[in-house]
Amino acid sequence: MLKPIFTFLAASLLLVGTASAETVKLALIDPLTGPMAAAGQPAFEHLKYEAKRINANGGLNGQDLEIVGLDNKVNPQESLVQLQKAIDDGVRYVTQGNGSSVASALISAIEKHNQRNPGEEVLYLNYAAVDPAFTNERCSYWHFRFDANADMKMNALTDHIAANDDIKKVYLINQDYSFGQAVSKAAREMLKEKRPDIEIVGNDFHPLAKVKDFTPYVSKIQSSGADAVITGNWGQDVTLLVKAAAEFGLEAPFFTYYGASSGVVTQLGDKGVDRIYQINEYYGEFEDPEMAKRQTELYEQAEWDFYYLRLSTMLDMLKKSADQAKSTDPVDVAKAMEGMKLETTTGEVVMRAEDHQIQLPMFISVMKDDMEYGAEGTDYNFKKVARIDREAVSLPTTCRMRRPK
Amino acid sequence: MNDITAVAPRQNRFSWRALSPWLISAAVLLILPFVLDSGTAFTLMNVIAVNIVFALSYNMLLGQGGMLSFGHAVFFGLGSYAAMHAMNAIDEASYAGEGFWAHIPVVSMPLVGMIAGGLVALVIGWPFCRRAGTAFAMITLGLGEMVAAAGQMFPSVFGGEAGIYGNRMVGPQWFGLELAQAADVYWFMAFWTFLAVFAMWAFTRTPLGRMSNAVRDNADRLQFIGYPPRNIRFMIFIASGSFGGLAGGMAAVNYEIITPESLGLIPSGLALLMAAVGGLGVFYGPIVGAIVVSLMNSMLSDYTEASILYVGLVFLAIVMFAPRGLGGGIEHVRVAAREGTLGKRLPGWLTGAVAVVLISLGLVLLIELLFQWRHGDDEFAQFFGLNFVAESVMSWVWALILFGAGVAVMRVTKKFREDNA
Repeated sequence: MLKPIFTFLAASLLLVGTASAETVKLALIDPLTGPMAAAGQPAFEHLKYEAKRINANGGLNGQDLEIVGLDNKVNPQESLVQLQKAIDDGVRYVTQGNGSSVASALISAIEKHNQRNPGEEVLYLNYAAVDPAFTNERCSYWHFRFDANADMKMNALTDHIAANDDIKKVYLINQDYSFGQAVSKAAREMLKEKRPDIEIVGNDFHPLAKVKDFTPYVSKIQSSGADAVITGNWGQDVTLLVKAAAEFGLEAPFFTYYGASSGVVTQLGDKGVDRIYQINEYYGEFEDPEMAKRQTELYEQAEWDFYYLRLSTMLDMLKKSADQAKSTDPVDVAKAMEGMKLETTTGEVVMRAEDHQIQLPMFISVMKDDMEYGAEGTDYNFKKVARIDREAVSLPTTCRMRRPK
Repeated sequence: MNDITAVAPRQNRFSWRALSPWLISAAVLLILPFVLDSGTAFTLMNVIAVNIVFALSYNMLLGQGGMLSFGHAVFFGLGSYAAMHAMNAIDEASYAGEGFWAHIPVVSMPLVGMIAGGLVALVIGWPFCRRAGTAFAMITLGLGEMVAAAGQMFPSVFGGEAGIYGNRMVGPQWFGLELAQAADVYWFMAFWTFLAVFAMWAFTRTPLGRMSNAVRDNADRLQFIGYPPRNIRFMIFIASGSFGGLAGGMAAVNYEIITPESLGLIPSGLALLMAAVGGLGVFYGPIVGAIVVSLMNSMLSDYTEASILYVGLVFLAIVMFAPRGLGGGIEHVRVAAREGTLGKRLPGWLTGAVAVVLISLGLVLLIELLFQWRHGDDEFAQFFGLNFVAESVMSWVWALILFGAGVAVMRVTKKFREDNA
């Protein structure tokens, strides 16, 4: 009964044993199969594409970067198994983005691993898990976040709304779980502070990923007379919400966090034009020829759009840190990465040393038709509406970083 | 149940034969850590240990009591939450150096999970147990969804999306077990798994365990002879919930984090999957199922993008063609060996096995080629040492040949198997 398991284990150990010492491995622990694969696969393709560029430019301190994909099915427990597999495989750099539950598990597991195994430290580069706690009360020296956290995004978004005098009434609709509740709370607090005259005419929570028809919610929004809607919805919850609004004839624009994530443009089509706005570190115009080249090449190679500018930033910063430290050891790299500045296509970004939260300019963009570089093979993409400077996006932190001696 | 006078055979005599499975498994558990030498292997063993207890506790309901539940993860998850809160209490109390929790070792966390799981079942179980069958399945489905939704809505208890986390290296240490590495945790897992499996096996030998089979087979008759089925179901429900909570407590120590999704439908489905793949009718079936399904979950996705599809296909194939599961197959062989008919029946079984292997190879190749054709490169198609590419017609022909050969072997040897059955 146990024999096949032994051979299975032995086979997997052999696979682990063949790891080459020449390359630096970065493991992506994200959903790569199953229903959530559409969230992990684009990041995987981005990373593989960007790693080629990094390696063509000399790699990390002369060593090649290799991307390893590990499937976690967005399950925190499974992610820890995959993390252990990665560590045994000689991986010292881990990246992940989908799900704050997984990020929470990885942060606490890596913190403990580094404490219990000195000399085998692992660094966690977070590209999309946006729970503000990770760079505030739960901040960790081994965690670096390359995406703006949820509060920073709301800070930028409310700056934009506050500057628009036509908006007098705002409606909030969010998914009923910790992230949606945090978005709603941040929106209320920040709007109250920046524009006390704005009235919050509704604050709805709906079940997560369960609503098929948003028409009742949309008719509530309509009758409240809202000038704008703010939502942190992602996945089908944002697509179906905006679709229902378009079919109902609701004119109010939707300010979203994840309006440009994969699949939304294709499913919304004309219904999203001028209706769906998003806050992100980039947009879909690609006026920089280098970025246009990356968009074209990535789409040709993997049929994914160049959505994650932050993954480029992340690898560029990893390279710069390794080159500066003249080492690929995570301890040296982490030290070099603290406070690092990097010039990107959107301006200078800084990895703040206090809390390991990247500071970067953000953009509000709106979905338009007839764009030069259409998303997902369509003619639609997101056009820049406003840029919010790095200083304006930034928020103070409560982090008291515990640094290793 | 046809013979009313039948009484469960009692084995008062000490017998090495009855004891041997336990001695062998204890020996295997003791030897394993000296064979394994990578952190991954230990991590996988620990996951398997948790899943073994979880699957067995589920089988108390489904296999032994005939109650199909879609909400078993509620007990697992709540047990895990209780253990995690207790672990954090130990952490705080040992900083302060005083209080009740400062004297409790983390090693005992599965007991906390067990008490929590049992209490939850005790409080909510009574109305559920009036009926088995569809009504019970529907109610547990609702319960699972309700608790999972509540888990997301009350961040103070469940920690919101990020869950709650703790540190197992706190409080008094027992037996010098530091619980730092997966290899240390292995001893903790081995101890509790052995104990829990033994306890669950012992449960099947108690009068209540026997009655649970009776309530599964014919609840009406049980009512006539004076045992209210509802009471019996309720007691099984509590026992099963307790052991589910115990598995949760083991998981809390292993992962040091618990998130609300552990309460939901997916982990409940996992319990059903493991129990069914392993076989509901044999005591050790869910153990086999837990091992196979855990390995498939964690390892298969390294080789193929279609990993989830394979897990589904295995489940489907077993439910359709081998309803007694993998454990049922092992039991077949064991019984044949004991009755001395193995020599006669083995050739027939081997022809069947050859057919099954051929059909599966053909199917796997077909699926991999489809994935390759649809999604671009997928390395699994090079797995057999040969290079199969979707562009070449020969690859597809090979897949069909393998599949066809399997079906042919199955057909041709059908009579041979039946004659030697």
